[in-house]
Amino acid sequence: MTASVLQATDMPTRRAVLPKWLAGIAILLPALAFLFTFLVLPSIILLSYSVLTQSESGDISLPLTLSSYQRLVSGPAYRHVVMTTLRVSVLTSLFASLLAYPLAMAIAYGKPLFSRITMILVVLPMVVSVVVRTYGWQLVLGNSNTGVLNWLLQLIGFGPAPVKVMFTEWAIVIASVHVFLPLMVLPLAASLGRINPSLNEAARMLGAPAWRAFLRITLPLSVPGLLAGLTIVFSLTAASYVTPQMVGGNRGLMLGVLLEQQINTSFDWPMAAAIASVMVAIALGANVGVEWLVGRRAAARLRRSRAR
Amino acid sequence: MAGSGTATDLALSGLTKVYGTNTAVAGVTLRIGAGEMVALLGPSGCGKTTTLRMIAGLVEPTEGDVLIGGFRVTRIPVHRRNIGMLFQNYALFPHMSVAENVAFGLQMRGLAKAEIRPKVEAALSLVRLGDYADRLPSALSGGQQQRVALARAIVIEPNLLLLDEPLGALDRNLRENMQVEIRQIQKRLGITAVLVTHDQEEALTMADRVVIMRGGKLEQVGTPEQIYSRPASRFVASFIGTSNFLRGNVAGYGGGMLRVSLAAGGQVLVPWPDDGRREVLISVRPEAVALAPLAEGAMPEIGVPATVQQVVYRGQTTHVHMQLADGEPFVAFLPNRVGESAGQSFAAGDKVSASWSPQSNWLVSDA
Ligand SMILES: Nc1ncnc2c1ncn2[C@@H]1O[C@H](COP(=O)(O)OP(=O)(O)OP(=O)(O)O)[C@@H](O)[C@H]1O
Ligand SMILES: [Mg+2]
Repeated sequence: MTASVLQATDMPTRRAVLPKWLAGIAILLPALAFLFTFLVLPSIILLSYSVLTQSESGDISLPLTLSSYQRLVSGPAYRHVVMTTLRVSVLTSLFASLLAYPLAMAIAYGKPLFSRITMILVVLPMVVSVVVRTYGWQLVLGNSNTGVLNWLLQLIGFGPAPVKVMFTEWAIVIASVHVFLPLMVLPLAASLGRINPSLNEAARMLGAPAWRAFLRITLPLSVPGLLAGLTIVFSLTAASYVTPQMVGGNRGLMLGVLLEQQINTSFDWPMAAAIASVMVAIALGANVGVEWLVGRRAAARLRRSRAR
Repeated sequence: MAGSGTATDLALSGLTKVYGTNTAVAGVTLRIGAGEMVALLGPSGCGKTTTLRMIAGLVEPTEGDVLIGGFRVTRIPVHRRNIGMLFQNYALFPHMSVAENVAFGLQMRGLAKAEIRPKVEAALSLVRLGDYADRLPSALSGGQQQRVALARAIVIEPNLLLLDEPLGALDRNLRENMQVEIRQIQKRLGITAVLVTHDQEEALTMADRVVIMRGGKLEQVGTPEQIYSRPASRFVASFIGTSNFLRGNVAGYGGGMLRVSLAAGGQVLVPWPDDGRREVLISVRPEAVALAPLAEGAMPEIGVPATVQQVVYRGQTTHVHMQLADGEPFVAFLPNRVGESAGQSFAAGDKVSASWSPQSNWLVSDA
């Protein structure tokens, strides 16, 4: 560094500084160090914990074992939690995408003012803490006739406390859809906004009713945004803790809550580490899977355009 | 492409579109014959696109009706009007191959695969793109993309073909080729067509009749020849090509000719059927004008005296820019022959007499 600076001042005509690749690394170094210390290292420790043995006294040491993973997969109770987590995440991302399309279309195609207002309404809930929002759902979905929903249904004559969704998977799905909806709407609206509006008009002129134009043109062209939204919502739901903790109860037990129980109640660190690893694997799996899907679509397009 | 043969006429009656307080199209009434191509021409914002989109059904008229083949389609939704359309940005479906793009309209009509295939092939070979069926639109040039769009529009055997500045994004040479190609196909298939453009050459080249629009209204409707040589108003005369305008007073009438003494001095004869006006505005095309030297203080018997300001050599022609005694500009396009440039004999400051045959005079309204 010093040498090159000297050189540069001594001979102003020569631009002898650091080689490009070295300069690149120097710029990246702080970020890399940060990521290594707080991501790579803990991940390695976490992963190693999950394959170590915990003694009676609570020390974690060799021998290596896969018993935590085994229990997670084969123990019916644990497996149930894994399946619940996957199911809730899939349902949440599906329902979120169904709700998100009309909103995203309103944002992408609406008149400027209408579009702005919709955007604000979609994003606004994000400034309220998840805890507060989920607490709201506790009040709405309460199983007794003091729950707002039950109270309303009873009022219009459905008998006492007709719905019992609180402390089930459905409560988590409902609350999670609400919490994560903006993260589905935003990439979708961006994707829709990039579609040339005359494509839809061209389809209509060629004889497509609005719904067929949507299915054949708008929907396929919005897939990149849809996949981005699905990935984000799926990963975040699978990794969530607050919402399942507050409205899931025992019937809606998810991995995040299970993990917390393993640490604070069972003091089973290897098991907690194994759960954490599985959660990371689920999120990674979703991302990799979508990447692969997108890549395959792109490759198929390329192949077809080179077909002749 | 078996020509659909069933050419339909189009009628617009009192078609009006109001956006808030802004009237984009104000009571357009027009008949377009079966198999005819009409160009809507006018400056930006005069309502061409809005008119076209009302015909298409993409914009709902505030008032008035669209009749296709005598049927009122004003309340019929876009997808049931059977109209083909070319967009300025082509609007090809980027995720479908060329063949799939062309097949789309046929699929929407519920045709079987076996019926669709030969129609698509015929349409593609009509636009000379038979070898590109499996390409994606992104792998085609702009001209090729618009030809795919043309194939896609005509394969449905539309009652009407609408073109909104279809060649605006192409470079000049390609544009001229495409103008001829689209025109030939339109004639061959006998499709009634409406072309929107703000390129006057394009309108004159492609259309059977040209409609000049201004501020949401029709200014003049006529064949390209009528529009060019018999403009109705100062606006039309200056919008199509270049024109000189001369103010004058009618001094006499005889033998079907108005004798007009000009505000700028001199006088001209104007063939005109009646003697109903006193103050007139004459339009003269610059290529009709001949120049002759004029002695200082002299007055031409027929024609107008002028002072040369600038002589510009332009290859085929030499443009001589002049000023009249009343301060108005006047220009003559003199033809050049190789070896003798017509403008050489004139220089800035020269006094000249500008004259032309009476047939080149035309009275226009001053608006
Ligand atoms: N959706 C709309 N909302 C409000 N005003 C509009 C809308 N569409 C068009 N206008 C207005 O209507 C008028 C006519 O527009 P139009 O697009 O028909 O013009 P045009 O003749 O096609 O112009 P150009 O040559 O620039 O394409 C313009 O003043 C335009 O601002
Ligand atoms: Mg326009």
